[in-house]
Amino acid sequence: MRPMRTRRTDLLRFATTLLALSMGAAASETPRIEVGKPFPDIALPAMEDGRPRSVSEFRGQKLALHIWASW
Amino acid sequence: MLGIIQEQHPDRCRLFMQWKQMDWPVLVDSLNLLGLSVVPLTMLIDEEGIVRSTRARQSDLEAFLARPAPDSVEPGTPAVPSRKAMEAASSQGAEQLVELADWLVRWGSEPDLNAAVEAYRKALESISDDGRVHFRLGVALRKRYDSSLRRTDDFSKAVHHWGRALEIDPNQYIWRRRIQQYGPRLDKPYPFYDWVVTARREVEERGEKPWPLVVEPGGAEFAGRARDFQAAPEAVSEPDPRGRIRRDEGFVEIETIVVPERAAPGKAVRVHVVMRPNLQRKAHWNNEAEDLVFWLDPPPGWQADARRLSLPRPEELVSDEERRIEFELKAPDDFSGTAEVGGYALYYVCEDLDGACLFRRGDVSFVVKSAEKREGGR
Repeated sequence: MRPMRTRRTDLLRFATTLLALSMGAAASETPRIEVGKPFPDIALPAMEDGRPRSVSEFRGQKLALHIWASW
Repeated sequence: MLGIIQEQHPDRCRLFMQWKQMDWPVLVDSLNLLGLSVVPLTMLIDEEGIVRSTRARQSDLEAFLARPAPDSVEPGTPAVPSRKAMEAASSQGAEQLVELADWLVRWGSEPDLNAAVEAYRKALESISDDGRVHFRLGVALRKRYDSSLRRTDDFSKAVHHWGRALEIDPNQYIWRRRIQQYGPRLDKPYPFYDWVVTARREVEERGEKPWPLVVEPGGAEFAGRARDFQAAPEAVSEPDPRGRIRRDEGFVEIETIVVPERAAPGKAVRVHVVMRPNLQRKAHWNNEAEDLVFWLDPPPGWQADARRLSLPRPEELVSDEERRIEFELKAPDDFSGTAEVGGYALYYVCEDLDGACLFRRGDVSFVVKSAEKREGGR
């Protein structure tokens, strides 16, 4: 029987893949977003349906946020 | 898991995610409201919305997941002010105009792009050196170019404003990518959307319908990086050397966009030539005879990667699609001032469904400006 995976294991596996994708980023990045400060609460359109969503909706969960482009 | 994308065309990301079978939620930040200057980045955010890492590594992730969770934290809801409030505030100053324009691009309908463009422009009258506003105006102009509201020069003006943004902040790589997407191969870090063909094929092989794209990528968006400029051979025959073929009299509109807008000495630009039958005159292409041919006359001292190009015609006997030719020009090492570039397209065009079909020459002339100096300041 296939062992049941926990949400934590899923998140770790998924985020590990994304971390690997991020390694090619240039080192010159100086984001306005700072460690120890709240992530800016900016409403952005959801890709799926264009409705407003924001990172603050995910409060209460640990969040891996991947900022990227398909190119 | 949450994604935020920084692309001009989010539908392309949607196709990419369909292809890779990624199903996490993604938000769209085409305007670069987050102010980030590079992608990709993975950030870790805790249960209280506090950023714990802006460039997460494997060790960060494990420590992050091991952190004890706080007591219950209520999720937030996205706050979007009303349009009325944004419009009322916009009379207070340039920053409020920018906020109105940002609102219109994100939450407005297609006709609101006109008001967004005007609001960014009005803001730039008082904050003309704000690269962020130039970039966002470029995004809005390109969005309008891709919409039913297109104005002929929207794309070239978008390139102009993206260029101004980069002059102001040359370290902003997300802004730079927007120009590189359409620019010359010497400046490209990689092909931008060459994966689209493979993605569609593999999605179809799975029995799914590929997510449709609003704007079909091609040309510069498929082209890869080149280390050296590949000049076209000189010995190519010109199709109308004596200029005897009759000139088009408004059946086909021809637009040229130079990317980047200005050429530095010894550097290349990519030129997009867009040809559209004049629908007001019910003009359309006739595809029975020969392919469209484009001839380019680079100025003395300039190199071109092609002199004579042809565009395969569709299978239908008649059509009215937009046709695009792209080529690259390399400026001489001592280039300054401006250079006028000429060329022409030869094509078959018909006046009306039952009208006469004619073989015509559409002349093209455009100016490439030097990147050395900008008139009227920086």
